[in-house]
Amino acid sequence: MLTLLEQLDKGHLWRSPGGIHPPELKTLSNQSVISSLPLPSRFVVPVPLVGQLATMSVKVGDHVLKGQALTEGAGFTYLPVHAPTSGVVVAIEQHNSNHASTLPVLSCIIEADGQDTWCELIPNQLEQLSKSAILDKIKQAGIAGMGGAAFPSHVKLNPASEIDLVIINGVECEPYISADDRLMRDYSDEILTGISIIHHLLNPQRIVIAIEDNKPEAAKAMQAAITRSTLPNDIIRVTVIPTKYPSGGEKQLIQIITGKEVPSGAIPAQLGIVMHNVGTAYAIQEAVLQGKPLIERVVTFTGERVGKPGNYWLRIGTTVADALNQVNFAPDNGQKVIVGGPMMGYALADLDVPILKGTNCLLTPSQAEIAPDADEKACIRCGECAVACPALLLPQQLFWHAKAEEYDKAASFNLKDCIECGCCSYVCPSDIPLVEYYRVAKSALKNTAEEKLQAERAKQRFEVRLQRLEDEKTAREEKSKQAAAKRQANMKSSDKDAVAAAMARIAAKKAQTADATKDSVTTDTNITDAPSVAVDSPDAKKTAVSAAIERAKAKKAAIAAQSLADKQADVTEATADHSADNIDDKKAKIAAAVARAKAKKAGLANESAATDNSATSSSAVTAEAINNPSATDSSINAAPVDDKKAKIAAAVAKAKAKKADEKKDVEDN
Amino acid sequence: MLSSIFIAVAILTVLALAFGVILGFASKKFKVEGNPIVDQVDTLLPQTQCGQCGYPGCRPYAEAIANGDKINKCPPGGTATMEKIAELMGVEPEPLGEAAQANVKKVAFIREDECIGCTKCIQACPVDAILGAGKLMHTVIAKDCTGCDLCVEPCPVDCIDMIPVETTIQNWDWKLRAIPISVIDQQQEDKRC
Repeated sequence: MLTLLEQLDKGHLWRSPGGIHPPELKTLSNQSVISSLPLPSRFVVPVPLVGQLATMSVKVGDHVLKGQALTEGAGFTYLPVHAPTSGVVVAIEQHNSNHASTLPVLSCIIEADGQDTWCELIPNQLEQLSKSAILDKIKQAGIAGMGGAAFPSHVKLNPASEIDLVIINGVECEPYISADDRLMRDYSDEILTGISIIHHLLNPQRIVIAIEDNKPEAAKAMQAAITRSTLPNDIIRVTVIPTKYPSGGEKQLIQIITGKEVPSGAIPAQLGIVMHNVGTAYAIQEAVLQGKPLIERVVTFTGERVGKPGNYWLRIGTTVADALNQVNFAPDNGQKVIVGGPMMGYALADLDVPILKGTNCLLTPSQAEIAPDADEKACIRCGECAVACPALLLPQQLFWHAKAEEYDKAASFNLKDCIECGCCSYVCPSDIPLVEYYRVAKSALKNTAEEKLQAERAKQRFEVRLQRLEDEKTAREEKSKQAAAKRQANMKSSDKDAVAAAMARIAAKKAQTADATKDSVTTDTNITDAPSVAVDSPDAKKTAVSAAIERAKAKKAAIAAQSLADKQADVTEATADHSADNIDDKKAKIAAAVARAKAKKAGLANESAATDNSATSSSAVTAEAINNPSATDSSINAAPVDDKKAKIAAAVAKAKAKKADEKKDVEDN
Repeated sequence: MLSSIFIAVAILTVLALAFGVILGFASKKFKVEGNPIVDQVDTLLPQTQCGQCGYPGCRPYAEAIANGDKINKCPPGGTATMEKIAELMGVEPEPLGEAAQANVKKVAFIREDECIGCTKCIQACPVDAILGAGKLMHTVIAKDCTGCDLCVEPCPVDCIDMIPVETTIQNWDWKLRAIPISVIDQQQEDKRC
């Protein structure tokens, strides 16, 4: 029984399930050496998203040098972006993104000055740097996986567990694309230098460079580079694997090279395996040894509508439209421009979008090359998709549930393990765009999970708030109790005596008056009889009560009159100010707010009691209140109008509209 | 003959006693605190704490449902939530009480230059998602806002808007391009005319 390492050394290969053999069509673009295109004058660099704790380190109007970092950030997976050339930042704004949705994202737009001057670069020797310094350099260079997923490379180079095997992915299984193929042929030594840096960081037992057998020149070039390199020859080898789509997928390639299956939801590092793309190895070498950040990459231009198909160095941030103009792009009627390959790529809705770190191919097929989308027919349950699925899923089951929007059931069939390779759609005899269904289902599941998380957070916040209100209440009660106790404690004994004395006096007085009334009653009995006295004293009480009520009424009336006068004064003052064209901002604002509040109140009153006289009168008052400022509006218009005035006018108009609406409602009712 | 009957009766009695003891112990030891169905219903509800069901929050409504209240009183949850509760409670799904509104997720937005700093919306917010102090401008923490609408009514100057959540690359659902766009050839079009 051979150990895994011995099997690796012998180049033993395992079978991966599923897969298809689409036409390769790579010769269209892999015939010439990678060349450069003239520099465009405008670049669009999308900046990292808000969640990554990034801030812009440049502002509009700044002059930037080629390679200068545009952002600063602190997040673990944060990657900086860099200026692709020297020039001026003309705008930082929402710009259409290179994404299947073309939704706008915040982007930094740079106008090139044509000088293309580098910022200060810090070249290093590998021996001078510590491992953490190398990782930091890789992070600061903004290196993301160049295979397409664009995952930050420094995270993968700093795993928590021991790494036994590093696989360098030069498979490039997707039809048409030849960027990695050409990179391996033209820059094999640089790639090997990058691999030696990865070796230095991870210290694995073996390094395998995997290349499909349809790229024999690349395999030969890499083999030659290995013999020239300083790496010990017994740990690194080139393994040629049979051509099949999608062998280049991370989990598929691991299965082919090692026979191990990466468990669902796990990452290869848990098996002691790390995979990097050849393009990433090249970029790591540039970043560590030369100090150059990741600002350009190899992009394959292919398809029959491109006059000069081939591989080109393109700056990150070059717009697709600019790039296509340089390669004699001749669009058809209804021309599709596909980012990525024909299997996993997406068509662009707008060509004014930037090249990203993960953009490896721009495909411009003619009508004859790619069949137009056929109409979807019913699933006939042939099972071809299940045979083709490289992830061993049941695509037709997933399809049923995704189409019926039973996303939970689709999830129970392990939808999340779908790699969206498109094999099932490719083999489907009914032309069902299966992957489209899975993508919709996946995003729906993601959004549901997100909502659930948010609901959980809202619940926590709600409970914390209730707890806080409860605590505040008890604290308040406790405080008042304490204050009462304190008052009592602070009372001196003499005070206590005084209180006692006062109490005694009151008691004595009461006794006296009781005696007196008794006396009077006894004396009065001579003149009138007892019942009349009993009737008399309530009468006195009644009159006293009515007097008190009258007093209270008068007081109320006085207060009402006062407040009415105040309000009128306010309004008239405000309007007077308006008409005098001498507006105090604050006053105006208050007046507007009062008017709005009144309108709101009137609206509510109208709703509750439409026939009530008082309500109508109050609405009349409001109408007046509204009319007054609007009357002054005309005078305002004559005077130089300022923002505040316009705003007040808007608020008044709004209040009016609201009132009119409510009135209408009332009438309708 | 008789002895076998006695033996059977004795065995059954012993068994009954033994199980009785085990069950009695289990009912003490594994006693469930509270009503688990309330928790299950509560996790299904959207936790907007909006009070549109007539209860002061989602949990009180979950308790009411567990006690047999109607399941169609939650407009933010929509039909999907109602159906899930129906399934959980084993009752017939009922259409939502009010006409099911277009269920677009919204967040509150304060027009800050119109805010007078009265703190009324802060007191109304059930999830403490509004920031501000007396006589100072207030603002909504968008990511914590549940879109419950409760702050709109108390505002004396009407400066709070409910705006639909924007679609970004993160929450885009691939459905935007579900509309098939066919490119009609200009010449064909001309011929038809």
